[in-house]
Amino acid sequence: MTRGLALIAAAAVALTAIAAAGAKSNDTTISGAGSSFVAPLVSTWTPAIGSAFGYTVQYSPVGSGAGIAAITNRQVDFGASDAPLSPDQANACKSCVQIPWALSATSVAYNVPGAPVHLNLDGKTISKIFLGQISNWNDPAIAALNKGANLPDLKITPVFRSDGSGTSYNFTDYLSAVNAEWKSKIGVSTQPAFPAGVGAKGSGGVAGVVSRTSGAVTYVDVAYALKNHIKFAAVRNAAGKFLFPSLRRITAAAEAFPKVPANNEMHIVNPPKSAALAYPISTFTYVIVPQQTSHAAELRKLIFWALTQGQKPQYASKLMFAPLTKSALVASEKTLKSIHT
Amino acid sequence: MEAASVPSSAGLRRTRRRGDRVGDNLLHALTALAALIGVLIVFAIIWRVADGAWPAIKVFKLHFLVDGVWNAPLNKFGARDLIIGTVVTSFGAMLLAAPLSIAIGLFLSELAPPAIRGPVGTLVELLAAVPSVVVGLWGIFVLAPFDAQHVQPFLGRTLGWIPIFAHGQDKVESTVFTAIVVLTIMTIPITSSICRELFLGVPNELEEGAIALGATRWEMVKTVIVPSVRGGVVAAVILGLGRALGEAIAVTQVIGNFIPLKPSIFEPGDTGASRLANQYQGAISNIQVASLIYLAFILLVITFITNLAAQRVVKRFEFHRTGGD
Repeated sequence: MTRGLALIAAAAVALTAIAAAGAKSNDTTISGAGSSFVAPLVSTWTPAIGSAFGYTVQYSPVGSGAGIAAITNRQVDFGASDAPLSPDQANACKSCVQIPWALSATSVAYNVPGAPVHLNLDGKTISKIFLGQISNWNDPAIAALNKGANLPDLKITPVFRSDGSGTSYNFTDYLSAVNAEWKSKIGVSTQPAFPAGVGAKGSGGVAGVVSRTSGAVTYVDVAYALKNHIKFAAVRNAAGKFLFPSLRRITAAAEAFPKVPANNEMHIVNPPKSAALAYPISTFTYVIVPQQTSHAAELRKLIFWALTQGQKPQYASKLMFAPLTKSALVASEKTLKSIHT
Repeated sequence: MEAASVPSSAGLRRTRRRGDRVGDNLLHALTALAALIGVLIVFAIIWRVADGAWPAIKVFKLHFLVDGVWNAPLNKFGARDLIIGTVVTSFGAMLLAAPLSIAIGLFLSELAPPAIRGPVGTLVELLAAVPSVVVGLWGIFVLAPFDAQHVQPFLGRTLGWIPIFAHGQDKVESTVFTAIVVLTIMTIPITSSICRELFLGVPNELEEGAIALGATRWEMVKTVIVPSVRGGVVAAVILGLGRALGEAIAVTQVIGNFIPLKPSIFEPGDTGASRLANQYQGAISNIQVASLIYLAFILLVITFITNLAAQRVVKRFEFHRTGGD
């Protein structure tokens, strides 16, 4: 059934792929679709991969959910998602493997006229805001985290992604880790049922609503927030430190979880106290490929390049992607070897 | 065989018969095939949708219609608020669009100076050619802020004592009301251009007769033009309603995608088509996919019911008309 529905989505992706193939028929074209989170990184890789192997990479940032649909229907050579495959999605995709290939974080962004540039928030407060239990910026819970700051008497409008989003997954993964009520009522999902606020489609839609709504708060990947000059909060980690996301702090979060399960599904939110400098809303993002594919050799080369060369600061740093941790890299390379024709 | 006994020139008969036979048969076969394909496609859609929805129908049964919770990670699905949202936005749009469309149709067919009929008519029809995603973007950047700053507070001040027009302190941009206005704009071109054609089709003799009997323009419109094409006007409005019921992208961009639904139309909401557009690609479980198709099935049923109701209305008007003649 997922197939029937996803066909339409995949058709659009296929069309772009066909168009690209037509344009440069001598080259090998590798097509991919999915996560918009990882799209800027993939586009910095594309020219380098072109000169290294002569491949043309055609990537469509249609969103994690649509990317999974496209690879499930084999309309593209690889899919990309910030959320791991759900059990039903994994079944439908028929022996697809997910390989962690990039590491970044989600920011908690806000538009509050008159609020301090360094707004401090913690997990409990963020979860209560998104549950609708804290509804004004001058709430004592927020004031207690921002001593001396002048917080306006202004209604809080939570803004969330209405489409299937890996960023929603990362964010609700974090909220479930810090608030039991969130975990039982809302849970972890790419399409959570947010109990308060306004929904918008895509990172761009969310950013648009936030920029025009004073009092709005949302979650968006760090690269997007930086690129669009959206203010975001310092989030308190388990060690009690208020931290903005940075490469070192994302790495610290990932290093706190050295064990990689067999299906490569990683959860690196809210790391324990011992990771004193970890940013608590970090996430791996995955490339999804069928284990058996006619492009096996090309995909192995391309993804290996992404896992090694592609992690270098020249491609990743400015976009706030931290290099993969050692354990993730080992697991990814091992999974990569299982891809065959 | 019979034709052979008809006295006529042999040469002419042969060519005529051949041409007639082939042409007749071909026409008959082609039109029947087209009709058959139409019917088959309708049944194929119903069958496919019902089949896809079956896992959700088995689990949720008719509770699906009265349950307002839509929570994908917890596998709880109920369409109540989405159905209400669909009905409120599309019928709301119809209430606004119908009088406007009829007025546009009348103006362009009867009242406007001939020099401006063409250009204005073309411009109104051009509205229909604007892709819905563009209308949605315009909704986000122009209409929604305007509504939030001016229209909604005004309606809240004047009609706020009615719960559906209640307006709080905040200026919310993504609202059910904005979705209604967007849908109104999208349905006007279809409805108004059909109305115009209908009004143009009223025989001139009738209009001239009314004028000759001393009727004013307004009396002519009221007693001759509108009554004689009432059924068609209803059909035109229903066509517009069909577009409103199924519109997904433009609605999802302005409505706020939030349930549970609140009583006021100046708050965010959601519709069935909008939820389908948002969630079908990233559905996380098979039961979610089935629930989305169940939702599509309900939309299909709503459309059928409105169309059947419209046909009955049209028939009744036709009856009145012929009965009154």
